[in-house]
Amino acid sequence: MIEIKEVSLRYRDGTLALNNINLTVGDNELVYITGPSGSGKTSLLKLIMGMEYPTSGTVKVMGQEISEGKSEELRRLRRRIGPVFQELKLVPGRSAMENVMMGIRFLDFSGQEIKSYAADALEKVGLSHKADSMVENLSWGEAQRVSIARAIARKPRLILADEPTGNLDHDNAVNILNILASFKQKDTSVIVATHATHLIENQRNVTIIRMNQGNISVEKRGGDE
Amino acid sequence: MKNFIANLGYFFKEAGKIIFSNKLSNIFTFLGTVLILLMLASVAAGWSVSSRLVGMLEEEAEISAFFREDLDEKEVLDLAEKLGKLDGVRNARVVDESEAYNRMKDILADDAGILELFDENPFKAYIEIRIDPGRTDSIVETVRGFKEIDFVRDNKSVLESINDIIKGIKTVGTLIIFAVGITTIIIISHMIRQGIYNNRDQIKTLRLLGASRTFIGFPFICVGLLMTVAAGILASLVMVLLIHKGYQIMGGSIPFIPLPPMTDLLMGVILTIMGVSIILGTVGSLFGLSSIKDQ
Repeated sequence: MIEIKEVSLRYRDGTLALNNINLTVGDNELVYITGPSGSGKTSLLKLIMGMEYPTSGTVKVMGQEISEGKSEELRRLRRRIGPVFQELKLVPGRSAMENVMMGIRFLDFSGQEIKSYAADALEKVGLSHKADSMVENLSWGEAQRVSIARAIARKPRLILADEPTGNLDHDNAVNILNILASFKQKDTSVIVATHATHLIENQRNVTIIRMNQGNISVEKRGGDE
Repeated sequence: MKNFIANLGYFFKEAGKIIFSNKLSNIFTFLGTVLILLMLASVAAGWSVSSRLVGMLEEEAEISAFFREDLDEKEVLDLAEKLGKLDGVRNARVVDESEAYNRMKDILADDAGILELFDENPFKAYIEIRIDPGRTDSIVETVRGFKEIDFVRDNKSVLESINDIIKGIKTVGTLIIFAVGITTIIIISHMIRQGIYNNRDQIKTLRLLGASRTFIGFPFICVGLLMTVAAGILASLVMVLLIHKGYQIMGGSIPFIPLPPMTDLLMGVILTIMGVSIILGTVGSLFGLSSIKDQ
């Protein structure tokens, strides 16, 4: 699914966000990226999304190399990813349903499929009753779930969630992580970046990537531990 | 896009949201576009009427060729036939002395009594040559070269005036159409750019989700089209009222101006406005959309 080889990412201001990292993520994996603020979690996700390009090394996502000048290939790749952005990126003035539908209208779905996939996604995150509510009238936790619904309605092969538990109380945060984890399927992987390490301490069958100052350490946890 | 038709409703709904997200500015843009299209419609109507007038004046453009008095009737007719075949000549016919006399009598009207002071008809026969006013000089030169011709009265100043009117109307009309086109494109593209700026976060999100430029840009093209087509409809309605009023005034007080049939003029003007609205709306939107690249 994802192959990252000897990748460094240095921003224009000289900040080294990622330092020669190697990482492989297969199909059907649930990956948590943890670490303090500024450790490089978001940079790593941006790299996988094609929002940043590596300064050195190679990044391949679903066989597509992430590099500059391949905008059409990147666009096609992004259609297979379900992103949950840290700042949500919902469109105000539209309902929850319209926001979810907006994320899938340009995919190869028929008009009927667009409606039913959006309704299913909202149901999966427990927000069917708020489908017609304007997103600006939702709580942060509800808006977070709309953002997740938009990601999963796309039937993606990879779900990327950046700090989905930020601004949420403990119960809501656990709920959100459980929802995301439930979408790990046969050919779908889920990568969640979070600084809330206490929420994933007891997780099993997961890969934990710990980041610190652009370096990573990978821990694979089996289900029987 | 497989579901493009299914998304048409979405595109127009988004276009509506873009327009209403900046109401005041877009109302002024709309009114400005209406005024510009009204200007274009006035030019189109004026062009149509003046083209007809100019067409008639062109038909009337003529020179008079006076021939030697020793020519007999057959030689005069042969000469008229030869002159009629010259390049740029529409037709040539002989005006005999009595016709020339009667024409002057018609022109003088109430003062025609002055002609009775002459014992004999003072007017000479001549050949009336209707010509293309744009080629007066070369035709006069050629006619003067005929050995049977005594002299040519070329009405040059009148013909030059007709020519200047034709050129003037065409030049001013073209300039106004050009100015209207550029102004509308700039206004619409500015409105689209404003819409793109106001919706930049949504556009960025859609791009991150993998939406194509066409999908992102189509609502903005709809915005340009809706604005110009609505402005075109309003400008057409105003123009219909103005033309009706104009025909009432001009038909009564200036009966010698050859107005085209009103329905023809209305159809022509409305089709021109709507056609131009659609073209300018599309071009203006595409022009404005090119700035998405910079976002």
